[in-house]
Amino acid sequence: MRWAHTGDGRVGIDRGIRVDSTAVRVAAVFRLAVAITAAAVGSFLPHVSGERAVVFFIVDLVWVPWAAVVLFASEQPGARVARLGGPIGDLLVIGLSQGLLAQAAVPNFDAAILPAYLVVVVFSVYTLERPAAVGIGVAAIAVPTVAQRLLPVTDRLGAAVLAPYAVAVVLLLLLIERTTRMQTRAASQYALLSSKADTILAHVADAILVTNAEGRILQSNPAVARIVGCADEPLVGRSCEELLGLHSGERRLDCSAGCGLLRSDLGDDAGLGVEVWRIGSNTERQPLLASASRVESDGGDVEVVHSIRDITRLKEAEEAKTLFLATASHELKTPLTVIHGFADTLVRYDDLDEEVRSAALNAIRARATELSRIVDRLLLSSRIEAGRLQLTCQELEIESLITSRVASFAAATGREVVASLEDLPTVVSNEDALITVVDHLIDNALKYSPGGEPVEVGAVCDAEWVQVEIADHGIGMDSEQAAHCFEKFWQAESSDVRRFGGTGIGLYIVQSLVEAMGGTASVSSERGAGSRFTLRLPRPRVPEPAEELTPTGDGEATSIREFMRQIGVPERRVR
Amino acid sequence: MTIAVALTNFVLGVVYTCYGLMTIVDLKRGWRTRGFSHFGAAWVAMAFTCGPHHLEHGLHTLTAGVPGGPMDLVAVLVGMPAGVIWFLLRVEALTGGRGDRFISDTPRWLVAMPYLAGAYVVFAVAAGVTLLVDGSHFTPRMTPNVLLLGMYSLVGYYLLRTQIENRPEAGGWSVSGLSLAVVFPTCGLMHVYYSVYAATGRYDVDPVGLTIDWLAVPAAIYFVWVVRALYLGTLIDWNERPRAAAETAVVTV
Repeated sequence: MRWAHTGDGRVGIDRGIRVDSTAVRVAAVFRLAVAITAAAVGSFLPHVSGERAVVFFIVDLVWVPWAAVVLFASEQPGARVARLGGPIGDLLVIGLSQGLLAQAAVPNFDAAILPAYLVVVVFSVYTLERPAAVGIGVAAIAVPTVAQRLLPVTDRLGAAVLAPYAVAVVLLLLLIERTTRMQTRAASQYALLSSKADTILAHVADAILVTNAEGRILQSNPAVARIVGCADEPLVGRSCEELLGLHSGERRLDCSAGCGLLRSDLGDDAGLGVEVWRIGSNTERQPLLASASRVESDGGDVEVVHSIRDITRLKEAEEAKTLFLATASHELKTPLTVIHGFADTLVRYDDLDEEVRSAALNAIRARATELSRIVDRLLLSSRIEAGRLQLTCQELEIESLITSRVASFAAATGREVVASLEDLPTVVSNEDALITVVDHLIDNALKYSPGGEPVEVGAVCDAEWVQVEIADHGIGMDSEQAAHCFEKFWQAESSDVRRFGGTGIGLYIVQSLVEAMGGTASVSSERGAGSRFTLRLPRPRVPEPAEELTPTGDGEATSIREFMRQIGVPERRVR
Repeated sequence: MTIAVALTNFVLGVVYTCYGLMTIVDLKRGWRTRGFSHFGAAWVAMAFTCGPHHLEHGLHTLTAGVPGGPMDLVAVLVGMPAGVIWFLLRVEALTGGRGDRFISDTPRWLVAMPYLAGAYVVFAVAAGVTLLVDGSHFTPRMTPNVLLLGMYSLVGYYLLRTQIENRPEAGGWSVSGLSLAVVFPTCGLMHVYYSVYAATGRYDVDPVGLTIDWLAVPAAIYFVWVVRALYLGTLIDWNERPRAAAETAVVTV
């Protein structure tokens, strides 16, 4: 059983192949090193001739190339040439050497070479399935027995040598096989648990810190760097208290006598989830939900596992929702007050003349329309947040659409709205969504230009995008405000709610709709000079031409890359 | 003859050693951004065994009073232009130039090349056999050169295969690729002739040369292993390419 990486990056267990491909490769490298060394040593020996020369020719011209072939084959996991071919070749070469060198009267060579067979058996057990390893074991007994048959009867190894050798082979097979099986099982289980733990720790959003009893960091996950804002600093060995600097209420947690989160004076939930805060990288308070628990390490030491969750956005969302409730109530209340007032007048006074009566009804209708528009926006915002926004996009004539919306706003408000659009290509977009986006941005531009300054609408395009710009010369925003203006429930200043109205969800809807259409929305603004909103909408895609083969080496100048190109090494994308 | 063999071997020795140094510069430059390159290291290992082999052979021929073999000279002369062209192209690339030239279509002289190469191989084999039948004695001291013929021919095959595969799309030939494809088999042939002359007693295999040749064997095997691993994708080297820019968001139409 071994670990296998599947194509989609998940890790699974391949139960079909027991053989460790790394062991096969290591064995192949070892075999090649031995073969080349033996060959080189042989070529330096003086006066090599006869059977000795034949042995070295076999080593040089058969074993070395064969060992190289086995090494190349070992790059393909499970290749039979690599797993079986290697040991079989080894046994044949050793057998021939034994027979030939013993004939060449090298003293005791046939007995001295027996350990070489044992080495082959050891490698085979590690690199072959059990039946094949047993086969190699049998061959390791048979080959030396047959090889010594080449010698005169008087020079042959006796049973006193061969029998203990055969027993040694069998014992070796049994011993290593059992050890290997146990190791493989333990390694698989360890790898499974370790991989699971690593994957969980690496992907969990909470920061996990393990410290020793003195508060020194022993282990951390990537979320720590993200939450604490110390991406490039090594954390192991640092003081947890200094790194985090946690506060509960207005008091800094004291960890001098053990982890501060485990102390009982933090309430009943101490250690299970306490709201704390620290000074974040932007020097503002960063609210955190922290917990800690004691665990015992392998050596019996006490360690503390901290789990820390950044709840800044949660807190901001809570604040924003509170503000939104107030704002929405205010927005809904204003038209309702008007409707209520006029309806009350109409009910109370029957003798109103027709002109006054008509004016009251028109006012009620106008406010009801406004109310309906606010509710529509709130519903759209809810759909976006719930992920239920699905837009069907198609090729759309953007120029006529924007021109008609500009004309409509100019006529309705009597304000100057200037459009500079010429020969715009089509975009891939949803018509209703695009009208909502353009309307909102022009409406915003008019609203935040209280001095009656003109609003300009322009567009440019390139091969992939059409870029629409809606600019005003009104009150504008500073850089901090511009950075947050697309967030939900956001308005530049709370006083804007009363001054300009609105719920603070308009730009959030704009960005969500544009992104759902495959585009982007951005803003550049200057306080007192106005704002410029930019929409990038995708043009219809044209099929890409096939990648051309570079005819000359002008891609990269390095000789390594050039050689790779010429030898046909395929380019691969980074995983 | 002896001086010619010595000088041509000196030229090739200097070229290959310089090429090895140039590759080390490349390797060092790219190490920080691309990481270690097995391909570069293997190529450096080959250049630093091939270069010293020729330098030592040239020096040995000149100083030890060994008479140079004509077939050795022929083999070096056939391979040298290709080796020098490749080297000069790399120097050009290192100094910011193109580092390659393109041959449109297939000119007549290039059409004739396979036939000339075939005739050369036939001639070389016949000459070798003629030399050997006059009396030879092979010893294990000559085998590393035979092994190198196999390894270099394999590299030459990979190179030639790539040139042939690229030609239809490119509409022509890369001079850089063609010169490399010529260098390796001719280099292998040089080693075989060295063996043949050693077997016939003309050359004496000295311990320094033998050591260099035995170092060249694992270097060549390492190189072929790297190339094969890169083909199979079991090794990622400087052939990795960053992901393309974030793909445009696809909208349901």
